[in-house]
Amino acid sequence: MTEQIAFWILSAVAVLGALVAVRKRNLVHGVFALMLFFAALSGLFLLLLAEFIAAVQILVYIGAVGILLLFAIMLTERVTGDDDRRMTSRGWFWGVVIAVAVFFVLLLPPIQQWPAPETVPTPEPSVEKLGQRLMNPYVVTLEVLALLLTAALIGAVTAAQGKRLAKGEEPPE
Amino acid sequence: MSLVLDILIATVPLLVIFPTLFAFTTWLERKALARIQNRVGPDKVGVPLTRYGGRFSLFGLGQPMADGIKMLFKENIVPRDADRLFHLLAPILALIPAMLVLCFLPLEFPWTDSLKPVQAFLLDGAVIFFFAITGLNTLAVFMAGWASRNKYSLLGGMRAIAQMVSYEIPLVLSAVVVVMMVGDLNAKEIADFQTGGKWIVGNWFLFTPWGLAAFVIFFIASLAETNRSPFDLPEAESELVAGYFTEYSGFKFALFFLGEYIAMFAISGLAVTLFLGGGAGPGLDAAPWLSVVWFIAKIFVLIGVMIWLRGTLPRLRVDQLMGFAWKFLLPLSILNILVAGFAWHATQQDSKTITVVTWVISLAVLYMTAKGLNQLNRAKVRPRNYRYAE
Repeated sequence: MTEQIAFWILSAVAVLGALVAVRKRNLVHGVFALMLFFAALSGLFLLLLAEFIAAVQILVYIGAVGILLLFAIMLTERVTGDDDRRMTSRGWFWGVVIAVAVFFVLLLPPIQQWPAPETVPTPEPSVEKLGQRLMNPYVVTLEVLALLLTAALIGAVTAAQGKRLAKGEEPPE
Repeated sequence: MSLVLDILIATVPLLVIFPTLFAFTTWLERKALARIQNRVGPDKVGVPLTRYGGRFSLFGLGQPMADGIKMLFKENIVPRDADRLFHLLAPILALIPAMLVLCFLPLEFPWTDSLKPVQAFLLDGAVIFFFAITGLNTLAVFMAGWASRNKYSLLGGMRAIAQMVSYEIPLVLSAVVVVMMVGDLNAKEIADFQTGGKWIVGNWFLFTPWGLAAFVIFFIASLAETNRSPFDLPEAESELVAGYFTEYSGFKFALFFLGEYIAMFAISGLAVTLFLGGGAGPGLDAAPWLSVVWFIAKIFVLIGVMIWLRGTLPRLRVDQLMGFAWKFLLPLSILNILVAGFAWHATQQDSKTITVVTWVISLAVLYMTAKGLNQLNRAKVRPRNYRYAE
């Protein structure tokens, strides 16, 4: 019962946050609405006993992606967030079609299992198990991912550094 | 019914104890700073807010209450151009994560025998959750700076984001060492792991080479996370008026103040859990409730060091701040993880000699690295180049 109430509240907040994020013309408001959506999503993960994913959702999406978006906005001329320019949206029809199609594809697995089984086996919620999985069958994948991220990091640093100065050369003013 | 009771037992003490301690800490901080600066500090307001009559003044302990009343009655001013909604939300958002993470600390309140000890939020991934939610504080600071529509506020907010994002990395990496050693992310398990041993301080991680290095990194990074001096650039009063809360007055300002101190308690609480043995201390067998007392006493030791540093250290420059995080703390904490990994395997052998050798080697490696990094980062002192004067 309590779970149901929590689920409906969180879902309502998530939908509302997503809608505001799309509809608001003020960029900063939009980013914060997006973060509200992420937070509600994290709550939904928590309800599904996926606490690690919930924590990572907050850590990565709100803590990193959201802050990055804010930084990006601060670097543009629209720091104040006011923007009266109207966004023209031609081709909204195809947009709606694609959105519905994606939604349907996401819904496919539960539709295939219709009617839903009475009891679902509750997965054992454990960070430890996740860690063992990452270390045992998926260790190569993990290492490759780490390598990829390191390469991206080094690439970003090199790109940001610009031209390397020769010895004794003064940086341009 | 018992669920509601459990929830109340677990959360109400947190909501009562920590704001009360906040009031006391403001008094303590003002007194300690005054002592460092050769002043007297608040000493007039006493028990029933008496102003005269030395008998009731009690070293000015009534000052926090008087401050609170003053804050409540002050006018709430919102700049005309400000974003009113965000201006209102920012102080609230500053307080919520700070209060929320208190639930993850292994504080149990076994007030009566009939009730089982309850911890507010016992999660397997408590430590990850703690870091995730403390990170939200950054957003509140940015929101306040942006919504005020004031250049100083915005600058303070941007500084705060840059600083908090940078220092979060060494903060988390230094905590990883403890998580590796215990093999658990649960705050209670980590605290229990450190009890026992021959002396009171038997298994505290503070008294291992890797734990000591991690603790120092963690403490420095936590100073930066909570915007404490010497890392108080976001609110540097000599440069930015008051930083991100320049345009805040009255009770909204008080909420920021409260949030900042609660965040200090929370992050010190995590430091106590990770490195100082949680609620471990003498006399626990006779009176289990002492664990809460020990826990808070240890928090106050750390808070005392924070106040002491605030009174004695000058503020860093922005480039020093960033360089320190990325060029000193980050490499050191990554190396510390490696050292801890080797040390864990070495100490599994259960042999005294190997353990001692591991300790000596890791202590030497960490010390040499810190020295070397310090040498590498030392600013090159050149004769000063006057560009516009002469």
